[in-house]
Amino acid sequence: MIQTIKLVYSNFKYVVLASTIFVPMMIGLLILSEYIFLEPYVVAHLPSGSELGFVLIVIISALSALVIPMNIFRIKILKSSKQKMGGGIFGSIIGAASGVCSCGPIGFAVISTFGSVGAAATAFLTNYEIPLRIIAIVILAVTYFTTIKSLKVECNLNH
Amino acid sequence: MNKKGVIVGVIVVAIIAGITASYYSSQTETLNLDMGRTHGTISTAMGSPILGDPSAPITIVEFGDYQCEQCYAWFHETKPAIVRDYIDTGKVNLVFVDLAFLGKDSIPASMATYCAEDQEMYWEYHDLLYNSQESVDGGWANSERLKAFAYSLGLDFELFESCLDSEKYSKRVQYNIQQAKDNGIRGTPGFFIVGPDGQQKIGGAQPFSVFKNVLDSMI
Repeated sequence: MIQTIKLVYSNFKYVVLASTIFVPMMIGLLILSEYIFLEPYVVAHLPSGSELGFVLIVIISALSALVIPMNIFRIKILKSSKQKMGGGIFGSIIGAASGVCSCGPIGFAVISTFGSVGAAATAFLTNYEIPLRIIAIVILAVTYFTTIKSLKVECNLNH
Repeated sequence: MNKKGVIVGVIVVAIIAGITASYYSSQTETLNLDMGRTHGTISTAMGSPILGDPSAPITIVEFGDYQCEQCYAWFHETKPAIVRDYIDTGKVNLVFVDLAFLGKDSIPASMATYCAEDQEMYWEYHDLLYNSQESVDGGWANSERLKAFAYSLGLDFELFESCLDSEKYSKRVQYNIQQAKDNGIRGTPGFFIVGPDGQQKIGGAQPFSVFKNVLDSMI
């Protein structure tokens, strides 16, 4: 496993890509989920009872940053299929969408634009925020292990 | 003679209709409102009663939805310290304005608070809703539960029920939602801190330290 990670991230471009995914994704989700506020002062705030949500955001961002570059490596270097890449992106989108659509500006915009359908979707994403984030983590983890396995075979790393 | 009789009849009918109309109008529109009440750029005439000293130099205008979990967080995490340090000491007062948008039970919940206000229990009902919040449209704020909350507070149940069922305060809530939109509020909770020299917008369930900084800079 470490050998596979080393293979991908020995290329500095993929380290930069992973950082470019991790930092903006984590900060963006923390802002949208109201753990970080930018106005009137930049302030970070972790209300009691919301620690799990914070940890799940960090895990989703880290897994997305790990899995997506590995799949891009597979596609670019090994000319493999794009199927596993879909899992990584799907997991990232589920993780990002859950929770950020509650009473903040995104939820308000969705409900204002789509009316009762938007309200139902927002309510679902808000009520099942934690389970949805856990599902996103599971999807990303599965994608990670299948990607590792696939890279091992395709790069013949066991020999 | 006949013509005169018709004219007198029309006048009598018009007078009776006028009296009847004004009677029913006063039945449905009896609002304890100061229609000219504004705070900064916001018309709070249709908002909540003022919490704290009405003559306090600074007003916090809170825009909220009873189903919003961030409003719940602010209510429990930040508001108690603001009440303790600023509202109870007469430095600041607070007005709640509805931005009920999250789900189908949001508007009835807001209307119910004004039905409670009819019986001078607005803030007690407001607090009870935020202490009872569960998932969005999960049934905790449906019509039966809203009436049960009124019952648990000892309100005149029949009066409350007729107020809620008739949607007496529907337009009041819609007016408040429009105020929020007109003032650029795009989510809940949203706040304007209105002082003698201007107003400061704060978006989201921000911690007490942020409110303290803003309030202290205005006092």
